[in-house]
Amino acid sequence: MLTINDRDRIEWRPGMTVRDVLDAMGYTYALITVTVDGELVEEDDYDHRAVPDGAALNVFHLAHGG
Amino acid sequence: MAQKIQILVDGRTVEAAPGAPLLELLQSRGCEIPTLCHHPDLAPAGSCRLCVVEIEARGKRRLVASCTAKVRDGMSVSTASEPVLAHRRRIAAMHLGRWPRVPVIQEIARRCGVVDASAYRGTMTDENPRACVLCTRCVRACEEFVQQRILDFAGRGARRHMTMAYGDVDPHCIGCTSCAYVCPTGAIQVVDDLNHPHDPVMIRDHGMKVNAEMARLDPQQCRMRQVGTANIIDVMDQYDLLPCHNFKFGSHPDAKKIYSAVFRDQYLTQGEDDGCWKGCSMACAKAAEDFELKTGPYAGRKVLVDGPEYENAGACANMGCFDPWFALEWNFYCDTYGVDTISFGTCMAFVMEAFEAGVITEAQTGGKKLRFGAMLETLECLHEMARGEGFGVDVGQGIRWLKEKWVREYGADPAFLQDIGMEVKGLEVSEYVAKESVAQQAGYSMAVKGPQHDEAWLIFMDMVNNQIPSFEDKAEALYYFPLWRTWFGLMGLCKLLWNDVVPVDNKTYPPQQAAKVPDHVRNYFKFFEGMTGIPLDDEKMLAQSARVHNLQRIMSYRCGRGTREHDLPPYRMMGPVTAEEYESRAERYDKQLREILGVDPAGKPVEEKIRLLRAHREAQYVRVLETAYERRGWTRNGVPRISRLKELGIDLPEITAIVRDAQD
Ligand code: SF4
Ligand code: SF4
Ligand code: FES
Repeated sequence: MLTINDRDRIEWRPGMTVRDVLDAMGYTYALITVTVDGELVEEDDYDHRAVPDGAALNVFHLAHGG
Repeated sequence: MAQKIQILVDGRTVEAAPGAPLLELLQSRGCEIPTLCHHPDLAPAGSCRLCVVEIEARGKRRLVASCTAKVRDGMSVSTASEPVLAHRRRIAAMHLGRWPRVPVIQEIARRCGVVDASAYRGTMTDENPRACVLCTRCVRACEEFVQQRILDFAGRGARRHMTMAYGDVDPHCIGCTSCAYVCPTGAIQVVDDLNHPHDPVMIRDHGMKVNAEMARLDPQQCRMRQVGTANIIDVMDQYDLLPCHNFKFGSHPDAKKIYSAVFRDQYLTQGEDDGCWKGCSMACAKAAEDFELKTGPYAGRKVLVDGPEYENAGACANMGCFDPWFALEWNFYCDTYGVDTISFGTCMAFVMEAFEAGVITEAQTGGKKLRFGAMLETLECLHEMARGEGFGVDVGQGIRWLKEKWVREYGADPAFLQDIGMEVKGLEVSEYVAKESVAQQAGYSMAVKGPQHDEAWLIFMDMVNNQIPSFEDKAEALYYFPLWRTWFGLMGLCKLLWNDVVPVDNKTYPPQQAAKVPDHVRNYFKFFEGMTGIPLDDEKMLAQSARVHNLQRIMSYRCGRGTREHDLPPYRMMGPVTAEEYESRAERYDKQLREILGVDPAGKPVEEKIRLLRAHREAQYVRVLETAYERRGWTRNGVPRISRLKELGIDLPEITAIVRDAQD
């Protein structure tokens, strides 16, 4: 199980990457910052950075617009 | 993006992302590479060839300009081989022979070990210490920073020189000074001092940071230059926040028809400078040229249409009119008639829901079938409004007026109209679905002028990021952001340069701070200081704003709209009013009943589930409202406390007299 933003939970699968988590959450936004267990993940690494079971992710969307 | 690869730099193994700019990588490793045409904020040009390095790939060795080269797998780079050094020395000597007194050239020559350039002195030698060295930076800055093409080179060989068209001062130059900013020699000088700012360089330097971010970051971030705020249509639809059918839903299968790419590819002129503020590097004011109108007094004429701005397209979704043609035609006529698109769009969406629910019929609408998606009928209402006839006149009075009339004259159910009529304080709500963000509901409903998002836009912080979970966190956001956003208005500065482009290293701040985009807040403080000479920080800014914000609230109170009952939203803003709406997001709502309220939704009739959810959400709202009042120094009824006015230094007798009787 993974926890996103201290609230949402999704099922963990072996080999899951940061990109898989973003896809599962429907997060398509351009201005986001991701941390896995408090550690910042660079955008270049989303596709191959593995997320361990039980991890807590923060996916921070910076507001824009309006 | 692919994994990091390894390359060799001067025999040492180095990790790098494939495709990364080679020069940046080499500089970050401390390699000595002279450059002239390169500027970190401009796209590489590869014209001076001072930055050459030797690259060996697949057995071949070549000299390449490192500023235009990209990191490739298996590459081996020599930054100081004999051919490299010889090449650089020759170019540096040529430059020094031609421009012997220009300091940057002298410095480059020194770094390249050139001692004698006499071989290259001759008739072309220019003894001016501020000579133009033909580096092309200014030409590129003019185009990349502000999308102008004022500067270029003319002449060949020895006669080549930088100039404006026909060698004359081009009246189209907007005087942005970007060219002077990037010029390495001082060949372009700023001679004007319009408005006599306290420190023009401070303003200029911070403004140029914005220009550089727009040129380099905007294409991957918000694409403001391509589509303006219309980029948000796609985002809002994907996050279930785009108001569809009078805020019933947050997304719609047809919304793709009005995604920003449709406007960009089919309608909007690209690559032009801004029409809102000439010289603004963000250039988000877009326009469709040669747009042929189909309705109204100008039918058949080709016109230029401003927009669509996000709210404008969002309002189309709200009316169920998912058609880019409609968005532009309707926007043109709203602009031409002087009608606010948000007020009209939100009001029309309410009319459409009332029509579909049978509250009003064709008998009242002058025969028009005003269902969601009725584009021609909507335009006809707008034209009627402008002509001062028919049902359009009623629509022009707004939701509050319509609710009263329909209850009074047609016996409509006032509770239903109150629930679905998206207005607060008599103003129509702007185009965001706030159902899952109680902070945004308060941001809208507490806004002094009515439910505009320009005081606080907290949906992502609250609903998506879960960044302000407690009531106190939400109240803090409802304190800071409205004051910060009021400050833009006070200064007459556009808000978009604050968070519609974001510095790369904004990620290094913890989220609560990152949401404020500290580097950009600092830019604005420097604009203020550069203009007035008065240094500013968060606390001073908040105090400036709070004076005005509290005065606004007191005005609102005096007009009879500044107390708690006027800060309450219609339920449609907070949650599902109808069974159709609940069912459309049943999974989400059922989950909340289970997890937050501990109620098992199984087998419960939908009306009961709506009721339970509603009681919870309304209670949440009241708690946020009360906590935010407290944080702002207002009474439980939402009136500024006299102690707060004292603190802000605005406890003038004529002001305190207005609120004295309302203190708790
Ligand atoms: S001042 Fe601005 S618009 Fe004018 S030439 Fe320089 S960069 Fe171009
Ligand atoms: S004017 Fe300055 S920036 Fe422009 S080409 Fe000459 S030296 Fe370079
Ligand atoms: S700096 Fe690379 S070619 Fe000029």
